[in-house]
Amino acid sequence: MADNTLLMVGTAKGLFLLRNDNGGKWTLDGPHFAGRAVYSAFFDQRKGRNEMWAAPTSWHFGAELSKSTDMGKTWDAPEKMRVKMPKPTKKSLENIWQIAAGADPDTLYVGVAPAALFESHDSGKTFQLNKGLWSHPHRKKWNPGFGGLCLHTIVTDAKNPNDIKIAISTGGVYQTDDGGATWQVSNTGVKAYFMPNQYPEFGQCVHKIARHPKKKNTFFLQNHHGVYKSTDGATTWKEIENGLPSNFGFGLTVSDNGSVFIVPLLKDAERFTPEGKLRVYRTRDEGKNWEPLTKGLPQKHAYEVILRDAVASTGNNIFFGTKNGKLFGSMDDGDSWKMIEGSLPEICCVKAYTL
Amino acid sequence: MSVTVYLSGHLKSYTGGETQTQLEADFATVGETLDSLWKVFPALRDRILNEQGEIRQHVNVFSGSDDVKRLKGLATPLRSNELHIFNAVSGG
Repeated sequence: MADNTLLMVGTAKGLFLLRNDNGGKWTLDGPHFAGRAVYSAFFDQRKGRNEMWAAPTSWHFGAELSKSTDMGKTWDAPEKMRVKMPKPTKKSLENIWQIAAGADPDTLYVGVAPAALFESHDSGKTFQLNKGLWSHPHRKKWNPGFGGLCLHTIVTDAKNPNDIKIAISTGGVYQTDDGGATWQVSNTGVKAYFMPNQYPEFGQCVHKIARHPKKKNTFFLQNHHGVYKSTDGATTWKEIENGLPSNFGFGLTVSDNGSVFIVPLLKDAERFTPEGKLRVYRTRDEGKNWEPLTKGLPQKHAYEVILRDAVASTGNNIFFGTKNGKLFGSMDDGDSWKMIEGSLPEICCVKAYTL
Repeated sequence: MSVTVYLSGHLKSYTGGETQTQLEADFATVGETLDSLWKVFPALRDRILNEQGEIRQHVNVFSGSDDVKRLKGLATPLRSNELHIFNAVSGG
């Protein structure tokens, strides 16, 4: 395994930091925020900051954004929480699902439940609610999924600060080309099998989207039943499911090679790995064909669930975590896998960085 | 009337390790008492109340042995010299 990888692993009981800068051997530090659920984390290396962000949620005392400037040794807890629903919204923050970098090196975006986007343009000193999305006429018609009504995915364009895509469960994909002033719905072709009209304008339960590393208009999407590709900037979508044992799943990541990785689960009502086999599926031709990856993964009595933010990559190193607390990694674009940890709490998110 | 506020140990990280404090004033309501508590421990406010100024769903505030959520919430008249703030038994 490469010697310079940082994993931020958020679990139902705290955050774990893993490093393999010790001759390929992984070291683990944590739990930070013991007892609190961590659904999102982010390592900001821009401008040489080396700032860690995490979003511990206490089901008693609320969800908050915490920052570390010493690589996770200590975490702050500001007197006033950084991300708060403005009083006129008549809502209260339930959970923080995503922390993402904007194109500008001082911009951060935060996706939350109830479905809303917050933005900071001063490297996290202050956050404001994105009013363009909050005032979108669709918002009041979005319905919560099993995980709440959450804005869980934010995809930015490093070269264009005006281009932002988001995904909401359930609402689907929305995008802006003016930096967030206005938002357009982008679900054409994506199925909502649970709705009377199975191809509505919005209301899809999109679980994750990701951009191709080299083709700015090519995106991949894992839906609540359905795997899709877009070649027109996440505007319209086409199914890419050839070779998959199931089209249900949550997480999705794209490596630097352009390989796409998902972990299919059995249908909606069952939600665990099919046939008791833990198989990652990879496509190297943008979805024309999928192949199962099994080397190093349990193929017997493996009934695992992998959540939407628990699949991650950095370079061509791929990682994923399960609700049973197992953390796996591949340092060869998915050809082979090793279990890094086997008994963590339920893994909610995995974030991977090359240092 | 002086009021002693007892705090859950889970809140220590927001109080510098303290789990109780004494407030000296004539408070008419639980809300007035809490406003005074925020001056002693400012970080408590956002953890006890949500953005709408309500006691969080899984936080209990008892005036003496009375659960104020079952009375008038923050407007509950203060009739005890003890206020207890603790997390509800919940979670997994």
